[in-house]
Amino acid sequence: MPGLLTVYHPSGHDESSALVQFSSDSNTPIVYSLHHGLKSPIAPRLSISWSRGNSLRVSVFRSPETTETVLDEVEVGGKVVELKLSGEYVDSEINDAARWRRIAYGSVSPFAHLQNKKNAMAALSELRHSAPYDVDWSKYVLEYSKEINSLLGSRGSSPTSLIEDPKTVLENVEEPSSLKAAWELLEIFYADKQSQAWIPEQLVDWLADYDSLFSEQVPSVHLRLVEFQAELINIQAVEDEPAYWQAISSALAVGWLDIVVKLLRLHGSYQLNQLGNRETENGLVEAVAVLISKMPRMRAHLPDGKLGECYYNKSDFIKAWEKWRAQITKLDCSAFWLQCSHNHTRENLKLLLQIMLGNTGTLSSATFHWVELYIAHFLYISPFTSGLESMHALAQKCMQLKPTSSPHKLMRLIIGILGENTEVVLAECSRSFGSWMIAHATELLTAGSIQAEILLKEERHNLGGVSIEESHRLVYAQVLSSHALTWQIAPIYLISCVKHGVGLLEILLYKQPVYHSQVLLKNIEICRLYDLDSVSANAMKIAGVHHWKHGRNGAGVFWLQQAGDEVRLNRIAQKLFDFVGKSISDESFEQWEGLIELLGSESRTAAGLEFLHKYRDFKKSLQQVQDGILTDAARKAGEALILLMKNPSTPQRFWLPLLYDSLKLLNWQGRPLLNVSQTNLLLNKLQELSVARLRPDFVEVGMPAGALSSVRVALATNLGRAILEE
Amino acid sequence: MATETLKQFHRLPQSTYVDALRFLPPLSAFDRYVVVASFNSDSDETSIEIHALNPSTPPILTLQSSFTLSSRISSLKVAQKSLQNPLIAASTFAGSLHVLFPNPIDVSFESEVSIPEKTLHLGPITCLDLQENGSACVSVGEDGRVNLISVGDSGLDYRRIFDSKGLVSYTASRWASPTEFATGGLGNSLQWWDQRRPGGPVSQFKGNWSQGAASGVVHSIDIHPSRKHTCLAGGSYGTVFAWDLRRPQQPIVLSGIDAGEPMSSSSISESEVWEVQYDTFMSASNRANISSERVLPVMICSEDGILAVIKQGCHLQS
Repeated sequence: MPGLLTVYHPSGHDESSALVQFSSDSNTPIVYSLHHGLKSPIAPRLSISWSRGNSLRVSVFRSPETTETVLDEVEVGGKVVELKLSGEYVDSEINDAARWRRIAYGSVSPFAHLQNKKNAMAALSELRHSAPYDVDWSKYVLEYSKEINSLLGSRGSSPTSLIEDPKTVLENVEEPSSLKAAWELLEIFYADKQSQAWIPEQLVDWLADYDSLFSEQVPSVHLRLVEFQAELINIQAVEDEPAYWQAISSALAVGWLDIVVKLLRLHGSYQLNQLGNRETENGLVEAVAVLISKMPRMRAHLPDGKLGECYYNKSDFIKAWEKWRAQITKLDCSAFWLQCSHNHTRENLKLLLQIMLGNTGTLSSATFHWVELYIAHFLYISPFTSGLESMHALAQKCMQLKPTSSPHKLMRLIIGILGENTEVVLAECSRSFGSWMIAHATELLTAGSIQAEILLKEERHNLGGVSIEESHRLVYAQVLSSHALTWQIAPIYLISCVKHGVGLLEILLYKQPVYHSQVLLKNIEICRLYDLDSVSANAMKIAGVHHWKHGRNGAGVFWLQQAGDEVRLNRIAQKLFDFVGKSISDESFEQWEGLIELLGSESRTAAGLEFLHKYRDFKKSLQQVQDGILTDAARKAGEALILLMKNPSTPQRFWLPLLYDSLKLLNWQGRPLLNVSQTNLLLNKLQELSVARLRPDFVEVGMPAGALSSVRVALATNLGRAILEE
Repeated sequence: MATETLKQFHRLPQSTYVDALRFLPPLSAFDRYVVVASFNSDSDETSIEIHALNPSTPPILTLQSSFTLSSRISSLKVAQKSLQNPLIAASTFAGSLHVLFPNPIDVSFESEVSIPEKTLHLGPITCLDLQENGSACVSVGEDGRVNLISVGDSGLDYRRIFDSKGLVSYTASRWASPTEFATGGLGNSLQWWDQRRPGGPVSQFKGNWSQGAASGVVHSIDIHPSRKHTCLAGGSYGTVFAWDLRRPQQPIVLSGIDAGEPMSSSSISESEVWEVQYDTFMSASNRANISSERVLPVMICSEDGILAVIKQGCHLQS
């Protein structure tokens, strides 16, 4: 329905007047065909509603006139068709559904773990009337962050071959995802409190991993290196190529020292046959390479293969840094440069020294976008930048030098973080990375920041009384609930929402099709976990009635029994008795055996159904009596009869058949089996029955015509014999 | 009670819902194949797929062949006639039953025979079991019917053994011998059937469970070929119990909330136990060391993601 989404202007200015910009492919309408299989004419009546997930439920109604004439029962009222709309998570990068589910499932356990810790700590601090939790808490948050981070993909490179190819400059790594890049940024700034002093160096590493992501929108150092690597195979003397020197200076500017040194060693002067006449030149190249590999870095340690010398302590670092720069200056002024005959080499090596000395102009021309320039500043101009305020000021400066028309989503995120603007960070997260990101990132944002905590956890009137944090979790839970494969993890997020979580969880559970036994069992389990007894009882009732309606009486009774639903069990009992009355008196009890077993002992809720149990026992003993003349069995049968007649749950309509069945007991040879009071009881019941017959709602059972009178005669005879006996 | 944790296991995430899976009997010394009943919820497609398992670290599954069905699979079993090709039997929630014969060379599906829905059962087939040699199959359903399907060269033939007309629902079945089998159902009940004595179950087990365990459902049964008198069952609330035919009223509870004596046993899981199996990798000599009074070690898997081996009195878990 494109007409509803955009308004077409004949002048062609439709783009500018649209409030929300649609990407071009969403403008092409997708046509779905409905297969309703109805014969025309179809009345122009349709009802459209959302079904589960991306399905649209379309109900096609027949026009009322035709309904009356059509005899075909299949299409009496019309037909309901479900239409599955294609379409993925457009706003997020994780559009591969299987990968997305893996992340969704994987993040459940870290999230639940952290929530448990949080609740435990809150309980503890309440107990102690203090909030001593900062140190421990930041440790847990970091743990959580690392776990989530590892889910988003591995940073490690693919296994390298044993023989290293000298011409492979860039390592082959798995395509990084911007989701992971964003998560790492948040981790650097919010979660990793221990390494706060080394944020600049962490950002250097970060860019080394994710610079390729910027290549989609803007040229980058990574892109330049990729291009150069492709050319490299065809180049004979690299030092004559400007691209070679450009690649080196760019890589140096952003601090990829290992790549720089590797490239420098490709210099022609290293070749054995050249060594003799290019000795000075080679010495200079090597001197620069050594200086680069000795660059002091203020950080705890470097990963394998990365170059530089680490200084943990700031004063040590300053000393080393001064010394290093002095060495560069000394080399810069050295007399050997005059003896270097290769022009390209001399000039470009000097340029490299300028980069290392922090020449703003050289750095700016070696880098492409402002984040790269920013990193270059950290490395060569102001390595002591600390505090978000000064970092933000530096970023502003770099942006002025390298302006971008439409900043990349990661750039926007960096600005938001540096600007200490939680709202902007939240907005960027939800806009660029989707509901998963924001639901999980709020834990990082609030870690250790009271301001952010207030912002995120304050209950807001305009959000219906919930906090921002809760509203994002609810949104994420909705996304999870909308898919058949993920709904079962939504409860974990819902239950962490104090205000509306439980309510929405109940709705979610009610919406599940519980007549599928697996869904029902899952439902019951979730209810048990979160103490939602009434919800699970309702689910069991629905399932019970469903089974009952489809003729599976045993399963119906079972679930209603589980739900403790006496009202419905009684209704079922009445229906079952109709059935029993017809079949039980003549046939064997085999079929009923299982159901009666299921009903179990008397302690369980069985409502009127417990009658069946006693009836079975009575029938059994009567059977034995008929098999042979055993006074003992007959006595037992008589007792069972009295029990049944006394029991209020025995339906009235069974009274006469029961008595009629036991005629043999009443006319027992030898001595009467029932005493006076017992016989009187039965006579009273018979009397009651005669009175009840006069009532309009009496149900007549199909008995032989003389049944009532023969029972009455038998009872009277028995009474006489019993009186005589006593 | 000692609990050890298993160190080595691999997750192999799949993009579709895996309803069931089995190993195919080895066709040669080198190949290992897995039969997967998969359901794609986006396209509503059900298929039976055969994957080759490459035992590298981590193991890799490679799809070899697939067969599309119209309804989701409720139960999947594999068997092999002596020295012949293996066969795969699957039942669906719509009530149809399919038997597939994979080609032993390239595991493509050569032929299929099936019984359409609404023939064997009204509604879903909850469980089926193939005899070890693949010659016969027993199917049970919520409608209370028990059917015996013979798998012959000419096709499938079926016979109704019992019909409770919905008064009893069955949720699990398992062969014990060529003539005997066990079924399980609601309320943690078990039934023992013998084809030589038709007309109904030969023996019924309905232990005197307390309220909690009586509300369970049996999901899986296993019977060890060397100890046919014991029927092992797993079901709701982490219940795993054995039923000894020689002492029919007293269940041996291996795990679950209803242990009878609360201190003697405990529960590994509180969730649905979907499958129980005797630990078949245990050597015969080891088995001989366990007295016939004790239950052999049992492997289980449950809804909350627990794989465990339970020995009577202790368990090993992953």
